[in-house]
Amino acid sequence: MRRLGLIISVFVFGIALTLSAQYQSSFKLTWIEPGSGQILPEVDSFDSVEGTLGVLNASGPVNTDNHPFFTPLGTNGRACVNCHQPTYAMSVSAAGLRERWRLTEGKDPVFAAFDGSNCPGLAQDKESSHSLLLKRGLFRIPLPWPPRNPDGSPKPVEFTIEVVRDPAGCNISPEYGLKSAQPTISVYRRPRPAANLKYVISGGQPIVLKTGTLADVDPETGKPVSMNLMSDAREPTLKTQALSAIMGHEQARLAPSAQQIEKIIEFESQVFAAQAAHIFGGSLVDPGGPAGLGPVALRDHRAGVLGDNDYDPVFGSFDAWKGTDYYRSSVARGADIFMFRQFWLRDAAHINSIGLGNPLKRTCATCHNAQMSGQDLSAGWVDVGTTNYPTWTEPATWAESSELPVFKITCARDADPHPYLGRIIYTTDPGRALISGRCVDVGSIVMQQFRGLSARAPYFANGSAKTLREVVDFYDRRFDMKLTDQEKEDLINFLGSL
Amino acid sequence: MQWRRLRRSWCSYLFLAGALALAQQRSFVSCPIVRDTKTVPCFLAEYDGELYYLGIQQDITSEFHPPQLKHEVLVEGRIAEGPRVCGGVPLQPVSISVLKEVNLACNTLLPAEPGIEAPAALRGAGPSSRRSEGGRASRETLSGRHEFEVLYAFNDDYLEYASNLVVTEAAAYAKQVRASKVNIAGYRATTLLSNGDRLVEKAGLAEKRAQNVATLLRGLGVSGVSVEWKTEAVPADGRTDASRRRVTILVTP
Repeated sequence: MRRLGLIISVFVFGIALTLSAQYQSSFKLTWIEPGSGQILPEVDSFDSVEGTLGVLNASGPVNTDNHPFFTPLGTNGRACVNCHQPTYAMSVSAAGLRERWRLTEGKDPVFAAFDGSNCPGLAQDKESSHSLLLKRGLFRIPLPWPPRNPDGSPKPVEFTIEVVRDPAGCNISPEYGLKSAQPTISVYRRPRPAANLKYVISGGQPIVLKTGTLADVDPETGKPVSMNLMSDAREPTLKTQALSAIMGHEQARLAPSAQQIEKIIEFESQVFAAQAAHIFGGSLVDPGGPAGLGPVALRDHRAGVLGDNDYDPVFGSFDAWKGTDYYRSSVARGADIFMFRQFWLRDAAHINSIGLGNPLKRTCATCHNAQMSGQDLSAGWVDVGTTNYPTWTEPATWAESSELPVFKITCARDADPHPYLGRIIYTTDPGRALISGRCVDVGSIVMQQFRGLSARAPYFANGSAKTLREVVDFYDRRFDMKLTDQEKEDLINFLGSL
Repeated sequence: MQWRRLRRSWCSYLFLAGALALAQQRSFVSCPIVRDTKTVPCFLAEYDGELYYLGIQQDITSEFHPPQLKHEVLVEGRIAEGPRVCGGVPLQPVSISVLKEVNLACNTLLPAEPGIEAPAALRGAGPSSRRSEGGRASRETLSGRHEFEVLYAFNDDYLEYASNLVVTEAAAYAKQVRASKVNIAGYRATTLLSNGDRLVEKAGLAEKRAQNVATLLRGLGVSGVSVEWKTEAVPADGRTDASRRRVTILVTP
């Protein structure tokens, strides 16, 4: 009997090895260099860790020749596409960046000193000077301190900030740091996918539920915006984001033309990216399957719809896959865990603190409630605990020696303290607080969309989770969810199918 | 003579009614207690050897917003008739103010126990089953001069969902009637606790509340907004203190 088991195991392992070898031999990854002038097809597919990512250009093939998204508009040779590659779900993976370093010996403009290295003052030819980008996919985000109003005047702030630890050296640098001539805080963050954006920008309400204050508005129309566009919601619209990225990440000396900005937005607004096939599970978008999977579903679905309900869930129904093959059944169970598995949500600023109570007995979908994207339909910054001590990801999730800075925040006596951490907070990234100047916002990060995850590891805004397993483990620890190994596998399969 | 007797009896009646109301009132600061159940958790608080039921977890649109562990809570409620709920004497109506400073001692989460059930909830602990999330009944048709009232938790200027809706409604009304004047008045108040102590809201809060509401109204497109505030805290009466932490918006067509 034991011998029979051994024979079956060897047989199964052999099949898996064969499939894996076939998969590896056809592995397709395409790095688009700025100015390469290629045509992007209407429908494209790229190999991701667990299968195939589908990318849809809904308005048809895209000629990248002289297209401002694909053309350097600044001084460092970068274009938008450097950090928003179709092959990585319009973001970029740390593995892809390491490969790019190897192929170009660090000369690719994505490694530009300004923000593609830990600090511009470091020796740029050394791999160690780009370690945060190469290991975790993190770009440096230099933000003025104190934060500024649109007219350039300083905003009032409720806390002081000190640099406690700074392995990369940029925050203590006399030239680039907090005590430089232009006081600056450098935080390190992942680039968000420039795809499926209709979901990201929908849902603007005049008053932000989480703060009871006015939402930012589109400076051109005066209409409230979703405030879900960036990890700290600092840019209100795709237009201001594009402009800021060109002047910052591309280090342009001259502002792009209105036509160029318009063309960038036109391109970004028609790209849809999602997982389309699984390495062993096959196509995810066969007729009769879950209607929310694949890029076509993203193109066709209405944006701005609340999915935290049991009749029209966040990513649609997965019932058709229940009781089918191993992978599909696992994904369907994972979808149910996401929607229905209750746990105690505790000490999460801007969730528990907005009138819902602490703790709150709910599910993943309570916060990740926007249909098709899994973001929050209201302005979605939340301190889930990834950056603030004691729940931060270093070193529990990021097991290696951390190179992230650590800041000490001391809240003013007349300010409202952080609702669960009080008046002194240690953080690797103050998040929204660097924009709002408010203590209650320290560590709050805008949640990001769930699509194309398999193509763009690592995860969390600080790139601390190398795998989806590490993401699930973080939540399991953070909220004491007591997930079984099977539940974790199901959740991972579900997230990977999106 | 008869008039005097009548006046005396009325005075006695009012005094007795007031004393009775005060006897039924509970105002205290303590750590909240969370009791899990098969459905949604109950929120309770202990005062003077008695356990009081405050409410259950619901949705953001509900009138009751539960307290928070890691924080003390100011409870201002009236003892309601009827049996205990979740093991506690029910307070209804009840006002909940989460005190801002963190208190790690407030950390009691009790497990579900047989025989202790939460009252029926509009929403369970999972996703919503309700197709209409509207929540509030639509307000009666307004006309003429109208005052809107925005209420606050103690020592707080955060606009919770319900208050947020009031401001939105006031803005809509002011625009609809093309208001000639919109007067905002901010107040801070005092709370008389059941143990005789008084809690006074911090100085400057009335102005902050009023200015915040004015900013919201202007941002929502309302013009002609004037703002005033009372620097002194409104005195406490021990019964209606929670309703005195407020901003009024008087819309004049």
